[in-house]
Amino acid sequence: MIALHNLTVRTTGGHVAVRGADLAIQPGQRLGVVGESGSGKTLLALSMIGMVPEGLQVDGQVLVKGETIAADDERAWRRHRARTMAMIFQEPMAALNPLVRVGDTVAEPLRLHLGLDRAAARKRALDLFEETGIPQARRRLGQYPHELSGGQRQRVLIALALACDPDLLIADEPTTALDAQVALRITDLLVRLSQDRQMALMFISHDLAAVSRTTHDIVVMYGGDIVERGQTVRVLSDPAHPYTQGLLAARPSLMHRERRLPTIPGTVPQLFALPPGCRFAGRCARELPQCVGTRPPVVATPTGQAACHLPGAGQT
Amino acid sequence: MNARLPVNILIGAALVAVVMFAALLSAIWTPYPYAGIDVANKFAAPSGAHWLGTDQLGRDLVSQLMAAAGNSMGVAVVAVGIGCSIGTALGLLAAAKGGWIEELIMRLSDLGFAFPALLFAIMLAAAFGPSLSMVVIAIAFINIPTFARVTRAAANQIWRREYVFAARAAGMSTFAISRDHILPNIAAPVIVQATIEFAVAILVEAALSYLGLGAQPPEPSWGRMLAEAQTLMYLAPQLAVWPGLCIVTAVLGFGLLGDGLRDISDPRLARRRPA
Amino acid sequence: MSDDLLSVQGVTRRYVLPRRTLLSTPPVLAAVENVGFELSAGQTLGIVGESGSGKSTLARMVMGFERPDTGKILFKGRDIHGLSTGDLRRARRNFQMVFQDPFGSLDPRRRVGWSIAEPLRAMGETDNDNRVGRALEQVGLQASQAGRFPHEFSGGQRQRIAIARAIITRPSLLVADEAVSALDVSVQAQILNLLMDLQDDLGLAMLFISHDLAVVSSICDTLLVMQAGQVLEAGTVNDVLGAPKHDYTRALLAAARVGGVASP
Repeated sequence: MIALHNLTVRTTGGHVAVRGADLAIQPGQRLGVVGESGSGKTLLALSMIGMVPEGLQVDGQVLVKGETIAADDERAWRRHRARTMAMIFQEPMAALNPLVRVGDTVAEPLRLHLGLDRAAARKRALDLFEETGIPQARRRLGQYPHELSGGQRQRVLIALALACDPDLLIADEPTTALDAQVALRITDLLVRLSQDRQMALMFISHDLAAVSRTTHDIVVMYGGDIVERGQTVRVLSDPAHPYTQGLLAARPSLMHRERRLPTIPGTVPQLFALPPGCRFAGRCARELPQCVGTRPPVVATPTGQAACHLPGAGQT
Repeated sequence: MNARLPVNILIGAALVAVVMFAALLSAIWTPYPYAGIDVANKFAAPSGAHWLGTDQLGRDLVSQLMAAAGNSMGVAVVAVGIGCSIGTALGLLAAAKGGWIEELIMRLSDLGFAFPALLFAIMLAAAFGPSLSMVVIAIAFINIPTFARVTRAAANQIWRREYVFAARAAGMSTFAISRDHILPNIAAPVIVQATIEFAVAILVEAALSYLGLGAQPPEPSWGRMLAEAQTLMYLAPQLAVWPGLCIVTAVLGFGLLGDGLRDISDPRLARRRPA
Repeated sequence: MSDDLLSVQGVTRRYVLPRRTLLSTPPVLAAVENVGFELSAGQTLGIVGESGSGKSTLARMVMGFERPDTGKILFKGRDIHGLSTGDLRRARRNFQMVFQDPFGSLDPRRRVGWSIAEPLRAMGETDNDNRVGRALEQVGLQASQAGRFPHEFSGGQRQRIAIARAIITRPSLLVADEAVSALDVSVQAQILNLLMDLQDDLGLAMLFISHDLAVVSSICDTLLVMQAGQVLEAGTVNDVLGAPKHDYTRALLAAARVGGVASP
């Protein structure tokens, strides 16, 4: 449905923020994208909706329903946005106009894109509010963003994203700003919507727990590379790439309470300091001589694929 | 971010540099003594000896303008310096203490704002006799509330920063925090304000001297030169043009410099300007 | 009770909110409602809760920044809110704090060595035997880095610097308010390990506040679960995690679980 071939995003300074990513999303698929700050996960998502910030250079191919769209072909993207794919963001307050009633926020695109009249748009907005589980939906339509809680605001944005029945919903850290209980309900809602509507979901997060309960497939990113992919449950239980292994081990676990946590040495490197071969070189416990200079091949693993010179079971 | 300095800073700085240079130079050298009367040479046209000619008493115009620049700058430096120091200290105190102390300082500032500066200067002149010292006091006084407000607003922002909270947790006193963290971080808006107030101070000094409430003869002042030239407007208009031009140059210079500094210290404002 | 380093006794803090209409009585928000706990030297107590649960208000009261409406906070048997401003400032050498935002807690205009020495200056001491350098080494940085500015460091390194500042006066209590929440997972583990190492070396007691149950349970001995200003559960980490009594605690557990990896 949407596919990226060899997608590369460069900054104005020529630093590579996303390096040759290949990714395809099937109808109804729930795909998680996991990575730390600077992993390129948000840029990957933005390139799928034609919204890579100005000044960044995008190379490679983006296919939407079989049609190749150039990164700067704004007219083609506008044809697909909201209808083929829609996106929600981390901070729901920032994405809502504080001076517009939330009901109007959702009804407006319905009139604009679908040509509904005022009453029909309002009826449809109400349906969407109910579908996204906003309590007292009828009353909420007339309220302003500041009168809603954080979780309700995120639901409003989800309703807005669903307005034109997109085939793909991209959610960029949608639960990061929310409290745990609310976050649980939002991820439940996203899963339910995806199933009910046969809508694909791309769920971007640094939170392994949230990704694991929301998605079926997973892509792990580090330093602009997709380093591992496969079924979520299988990758998280038996990771092959040393970064995925390190990330899972470093995460404090409720069960295995060792006195010290295994760590990944060093820090996430800045874009300009990335090693030319494997991006994880220098922090990797299983580093080989060729890792620094040679980009690792993508190889099959028991749980999917990994880009590594020496994939396999780690010591962790 | 564009690394190039905005045009208004460059022009402003150039104008300010010219005025400042003339003012500093006048302290050690002027072509002639500024009050040196040479009646035989009155109303002399510009020449190699007198670049801009002489006035009705044969005094060299360039020497007078330079000495007046020195006076004008001196008044502005001392007056804005005093007003800025007291105002900034009060603003820092208000932000640090909060509560009724802050209320009191800010309400007193409102009172100061409501008081017309010229009226205050006239009252001072009436009470203590007109002189440049009275001008300095008047300008300093009207500057206090301005700086108190600017400082308090900026300081309150910094007080909310986490590193200030961290300094409190470390056991630093309010005074030490104001000195070590608040003051260095609000320096930019205070300097910008000072530059703008400099322009205002030059204008006020000229106005008061023009009205006879500032510099007294034979002390040179652009404002007083204007007043004297007024009666000779038809006979020797150049005597009014040159001091007027000096006032415009100085005020425009500091105004442009202040505006430009504000632009670079507040990127949000700068971005809104068309490129 | 006398051997407790920190004793919080029935502490309540309420905020009066702006009135809704002109004549109504202003609503009152109970930020912290009748909370009590004890913390012995060298122990770590975790406080878990969402934003608005009152955990940060509690931290600010323990640090002496805010005064409880009722109840007492005893540090080494002394009521810290009964101290004069000067005595409280001097007492701060014994309890220090690490903040959430590694980018906000250091003055951007000051060299990090200057910031680390700040608590020493506050106590009227000078850094005569290079304590700043040693504190930097204790947190895994180099003494030579004292002359650099905060922007030259990564988020994790800045948090190390903040910790160096907090331990330079050799406090007996460290209050960490969401100290690892803003860090990437791989860096977060390093900082948690550092805190545990320092605790062993210096005999620090810690009050560790976080919204992440997994993080808290990895570093703490005992646990307090807070919601809406009240303590829902208290006990050892194993007790609370093993048999959560409250729906809310169960939700926290579910939110922290990675499917297929650590399913308890």
